[in-house]
Amino acid sequence: MIALLLSVALAGTIEDARGQSVAVSAPQRIVSLGGGVTELVYALGAGDRVVAVDASSTHPAETEPLRTLGYHRQVSAEGVLSLSPDLVIATTDAGPPVVLEQLERAGVPLVVLDASPGLPALEGRIDMLSALLDVPERGVSLREELSESVARIAPDTAPRVMFIYARGGGTLNVSGSGTAAAEMIALAGATNAVEGYEGYRPLTAESVVMAAPDVLLLTEGGLASLGGQAGLLEQPGLSQTPAGRAGRIVVMDDLLLLGFGPRTGLAAVVLSGALQESGE
Amino acid sequence: MLSGTDITVRARGAVLLDRVDVDIRPGEVLGILGPNGAGKSTLLRCLAGSLRPEGGAVTIDGRPVRSLSARAQAVRRAVCTQHTDLRFPFTAREVVALGRSPHGSGPTGDIVASALEQVEASHLSERRWSTLSGGERQRVQLARALAQLTGPGERYLLLDEPTASLDLRHQHAVLGLARRLSRSRVGVAVVLHDLNLAAAYTDRLLLLRGGRRLACGPTADLLTPTRIAQAFDLAVRVLPHPDGGTLVAAMPGARS
Amino acid sequence: MISRPVLLVVLAALAVAAGLAGLCLGAMPVPVAAVPGSLWGWLGGTLPEGVSPQHASVVMAIRAPRVALGLLVGAGLSVAGALMQGLFRNPLADPGLIGVSSGAALAAAGVIVLGGGGLPLWALPAAAFGGGVGVTLLVLRLSKGDGGVSIETMLLAGIALNALAGAGTGVLVAMSDDAQLRSLTFWTLGSLGGARWEVLAWVSPLLVAPLLAAPWLAAPLDALLLGDDEAYHLGVEVERLKRRVIALAALAVGAAVAFTGMIGFVGLVVPHLVRLLAGPSHRTVLPGSALLGGALLTGADLLARTATAPAELPIGVVTTLLGGPFFLGLLARRRR
Repeated sequence: MIALLLSVALAGTIEDARGQSVAVSAPQRIVSLGGGVTELVYALGAGDRVVAVDASSTHPAETEPLRTLGYHRQVSAEGVLSLSPDLVIATTDAGPPVVLEQLERAGVPLVVLDASPGLPALEGRIDMLSALLDVPERGVSLREELSESVARIAPDTAPRVMFIYARGGGTLNVSGSGTAAAEMIALAGATNAVEGYEGYRPLTAESVVMAAPDVLLLTEGGLASLGGQAGLLEQPGLSQTPAGRAGRIVVMDDLLLLGFGPRTGLAAVVLSGALQESGE
Repeated sequence: MLSGTDITVRARGAVLLDRVDVDIRPGEVLGILGPNGAGKSTLLRCLAGSLRPEGGAVTIDGRPVRSLSARAQAVRRAVCTQHTDLRFPFTAREVVALGRSPHGSGPTGDIVASALEQVEASHLSERRWSTLSGGERQRVQLARALAQLTGPGERYLLLDEPTASLDLRHQHAVLGLARRLSRSRVGVAVVLHDLNLAAAYTDRLLLLRGGRRLACGPTADLLTPTRIAQAFDLAVRVLPHPDGGTLVAAMPGARS
Repeated sequence: MISRPVLLVVLAALAVAAGLAGLCLGAMPVPVAAVPGSLWGWLGGTLPEGVSPQHASVVMAIRAPRVALGLLVGAGLSVAGALMQGLFRNPLADPGLIGVSSGAALAAAGVIVLGGGGLPLWALPAAAFGGGVGVTLLVLRLSKGDGGVSIETMLLAGIALNALAGAGTGVLVAMSDDAQLRSLTFWTLGSLGGARWEVLAWVSPLLVAPLLAAPWLAAPLDALLLGDDEAYHLGVEVERLKRRVIALAALAVGAAVAFTGMIGFVGLVVPHLVRLLAGPSHRTVLPGSALLGGALLTGADLLARTATAPAELPIGVVTTLLGGPFFLGLLARRRR
């Protein structure tokens, strides 16, 4: 953190997640790509300097009129340039790479943040953004809030939780380790019922029954796309799990649960509470 | 001369042509006759170069067809087959103009117009292919072949049942045209079904049956009840035509 | 019916107009006067007054390569479509019949889903190109019989391999995570957003090749429309022609799909339009399709990048939205 502040103060540059040195100075027209990143920018008090965000930046509500850039993996070079930004903040997920290159070639400072889920990466993003936006105190207090929230989580039981990602089309995916969902389950003091692989795999009846989760966790959008609880329990194998039989299903807002933004602490507390409550 | 020597064609175990010899000479019309399955169209395709026989050889002006490029053949010999499956809206004039493509670029308007005139299809010139009747299409195809053959030197025209969809008047017009052509250094071979048309318009005949050459010779010599019965399994009477030539009459119900 | 010279002049003017519109218009307001200045600056001169470096960069580094790519890809896809329609003797044929699009999509899906994060930028286009050309070669192999390449067999082989490639892509889709699925979907919808001068250097020879070969292909293709044998009797080396046409179409479409994803309807509709206006002779249809295709695609791209600015519509969506109803209109006309 100190190193970041020093480098910005002395050289006016910051080294981003690509290892590239980016020159910045008091950005006034910020373009933010990525829901979690946008939330952080607003939480750090720089929301009034944002001119446009991507479609996944759904929080806070003030971003609504600015949500004009479309999907963050398919932005348009000229579109972004037409907003005359003096800083573009993106995650490693943003793209296409050609367009980001064109933005840099056109002289726009581009800072890429590490998009990995998990607390350490989030803390890194807070540090980098607070140095970038010259609000070190806000950055520190945000990190303190985060640590406090997480420390307060000490549930009595550690239920086995299965996170299901639904697209509504028919394929359900189940999260293994290393995903945002898996990290949140761990932060909430619970256990991932699914082990043995990284990332997502399609749901099959046998694997679900073997995992025997106590609780099923979904995003609001995901559950809605399945037709609610009834639709969910019609999926293969789910009704035979402890979670299915007891009807223990926890639902949270997509961005809140998976965004790994400033509300992560809050999200972990909420999730932990919800998991405990569902068992009563 | 366009000749085939010892032509043999086999397909899926069956013998379509069995050591057939044939000569097409500039200045005469050769009729190729035989019942269905005799191999007439197969023979024509071999002579045209588009079907390579298993045995025997085809030569055009002494050179084996196998050694000639498609273009080298196309400048001297034209073929009219029965079916043209054209699904694009070409005009009759454009189709006839295709006949000039082997001859390279150069003005073609006059040749095309003249060819259409000779088949009495000038009025069809700007009509689209899909609007033409079967008979009209055949005449336009013939005009295309005529356009292809326009030029010096000895030429060859191969016709596969050119009268199939034509009405009576046009049947005679087309064959009359073929005969006039033959008088100007073109060797014509025409596959026919109608014996009377063969009698009126051919100089020599080749009779095929079951892939074999039954007989070949001047038309008058071959159009006898015996030969016809041999080839077609049909009893006929052959009578002298009041204006000269021969008239062939089939006997309904009688077998040979 | 419009005569050939008139049609070609009008279409050339249309293509030039589309190109100029593409340079002058876009999400960013750039004064029209800045365009010639930007070109001058890019060629090495100093930027005249009133032309900011940012304007020059937008015009020459972002818009100009897109316009060039749009003209070339539009021309390449349209000529390939016209070639396929001549080869299959069917005005409804489309380069997709020989498997090049589905092969490219399968390879692209493979790279996106299985490739992991660290692949170089050229991996996706290279794979897509290889996949497209590879499946076409397979289709060609399967359709070679004793008599040479059978068009009917080629149609069947194309259907079968398209289905297989589609199934393979489906498997990859089922395996994909959310981000990969979005990437694949957008790739399938097509975009000229990846246009850069370096890309153009690779892609132009392949896209331009069928256009350069067109004068020699026109008359033989006309003859081929009468039938294989009939074309031979008119002096066309039929097998050689078929191989060349398939090769040119596969290379052009493979190159286009590799860099711009799948852009539908252009190869099908543009040659149709040209035939409607000026008749079916390939001497008109081949150059006409190139010019009209280039103009239409550049125009569609302009629409794609301005209709929802500052965001962008995938260009495949625009061409399908325009091409679909047009095609239905054509069908309605035929039925009457």
